[in-house]
Amino acid sequence: MKKILFASLLMLAALSASAQERKELHILSANDMHAAIECFPRLGFIADSLRALYPNLLILSGGDNRSGDPLNDMYEIPAYPMVTLMNMVGFHATAVGNHEFDSAQKGLAKLISLSTFSTLCANMEPDPKFNMHVKPYQIFDCGGISVGIIGITALGTMGLPESHPARMTDIKFFDPLETIKKYQFLREKCDVVLLLSHLGFDDDVKFSAELPWIDIIVGGHSHTQVKGGEDHNGVFITQNENRLKRVTHTTLVVENGKVVSRKAENIAVRGEMNENKVIREVVRYFSENPAFKRVLATADAPFSSYEELGCMMADAYVAEGKGDLSFQNAGGVRYDTHEAGGFTVADVLRLDPFQNEAVELNITGKELSEMLIKCYENDQKRFPYVGGMTAEYTIDPKTYDLKKLVLYGTDGKKLNLKKTYKVISNSYSVAVSPTNRKDEGQNTGIITAELIMKYLEHQGHVNYQGRTCLKEIKK
Amino acid sequence: MKLKVNRKNIEVFEGAQVRHALLSYFAWKGLDVRLLEQLTVLDRWGHEIDLDAPASQHEMIKFKLPYKL
Repeated sequence: MKKILFASLLMLAALSASAQERKELHILSANDMHAAIECFPRLGFIADSLRALYPNLLILSGGDNRSGDPLNDMYEIPAYPMVTLMNMVGFHATAVGNHEFDSAQKGLAKLISLSTFSTLCANMEPDPKFNMHVKPYQIFDCGGISVGIIGITALGTMGLPESHPARMTDIKFFDPLETIKKYQFLREKCDVVLLLSHLGFDDDVKFSAELPWIDIIVGGHSHTQVKGGEDHNGVFITQNENRLKRVTHTTLVVENGKVVSRKAENIAVRGEMNENKVIREVVRYFSENPAFKRVLATADAPFSSYEELGCMMADAYVAEGKGDLSFQNAGGVRYDTHEAGGFTVADVLRLDPFQNEAVELNITGKELSEMLIKCYENDQKRFPYVGGMTAEYTIDPKTYDLKKLVLYGTDGKKLNLKKTYKVISNSYSVAVSPTNRKDEGQNTGIITAELIMKYLEHQGHVNYQGRTCLKEIKK
Repeated sequence: MKLKVNRKNIEVFEGAQVRHALLSYFAWKGLDVRLLEQLTVLDRWGHEIDLDAPASQHEMIKFKLPYKL
């Protein structure tokens, strides 16, 4: 009888110990927020609510926190609003997205120094001169669960993240998969191993086959809307579309140092009710940034047509994009008058509000002519404004079909159709001008509004009164 | 950079977004580019993706219109 009682007590004790070791890890993850500061009051509310239920909530970003809203990206310290808001929401760590490099080396180092969360990226090594505090991994204690998080970023065709190469000088990058494998020791040290990835969904799935020791990949980069989470090769993968449409709340059950169950749900952020009011006030403060009233140049005479403003934009692309020629789709010039006097940052952002990036093409005069014709056809039969040249085009007055196009250089001579020119345009114009050309172009990673701002600042005074770059003949 | 949009091969500039691949597709097909914002865009797995997604991340995409053209 005594033996039976003793055995029962032992079993009870064992059961009780096992129950004590069953713990839940809660993760709130976002990715590719792209400066959606307007969504932070709602994100703050979601984080507060979950934290009230789960005090050890881990909040993570899969990278690309910036680049998407001038209120953030053109702040005095670029991207400072996002860092402040992420600090307020209580983020613990972020991956490094390719757009984090849009801040360039010193800018990124500055942002990291202002962050209360960790910046994790195992496959980059900045030169010490930048004082950039990027860690390859970090172990977090979440209510007794040790969580090892490795950060990783995608490399593009040039072996660099997709941003302007000049912004990554003196930063070394390494193969993502081989790098991750070096951190397998975390499996022994941690209850949960998490890959905070800016690789994109396809690579997350591909890599999962070789990384069975990882429990979960919190992803980003491809803007893939995963419903909750998906199991691929035994690894749980989450990701959301961009700009905080949704975030993911993941629950991992850990027993005896091992993840035994995983589930995730998407939570809608954009356009939803309930906000953190303190964060709302901070967003309002950032939205009323007086820096947007800064005068870049003085317009010595008023602008009084779309063409005058379009010519100015096209000139800016040539001057600041260091090109020979340029073009700007007519539909992308958003107002037709500007009075004489100060031309401000806000004026430029109203003129060119689309966040289009400048694209560089090395194409012949003939290939350029073909692109301009396509652009005309696909931009509601409006001829694009041009820089570094003038365009004389003949259209049918009834059908508006383009019948003839002649391009002239600034010297008044016809453009050499065989010569290769460096042409700068915006990403929209290039996309709506598909032709069979040798060079499809290269995104410079610089938004065209930024080129216009630089141009105005460098000019100091501008006068485009009566300026034309197009001559239309109806015949 | 090449990718497939509704099975058609499309070539776009390096660093393009899904939006630009769709714009090129619409331009080739002579479709009204204003329809772009109404599309549901799916990756090869059937996940929804947004127009700002990097084109380099998607070998093939397809889109659905909310109604028949």
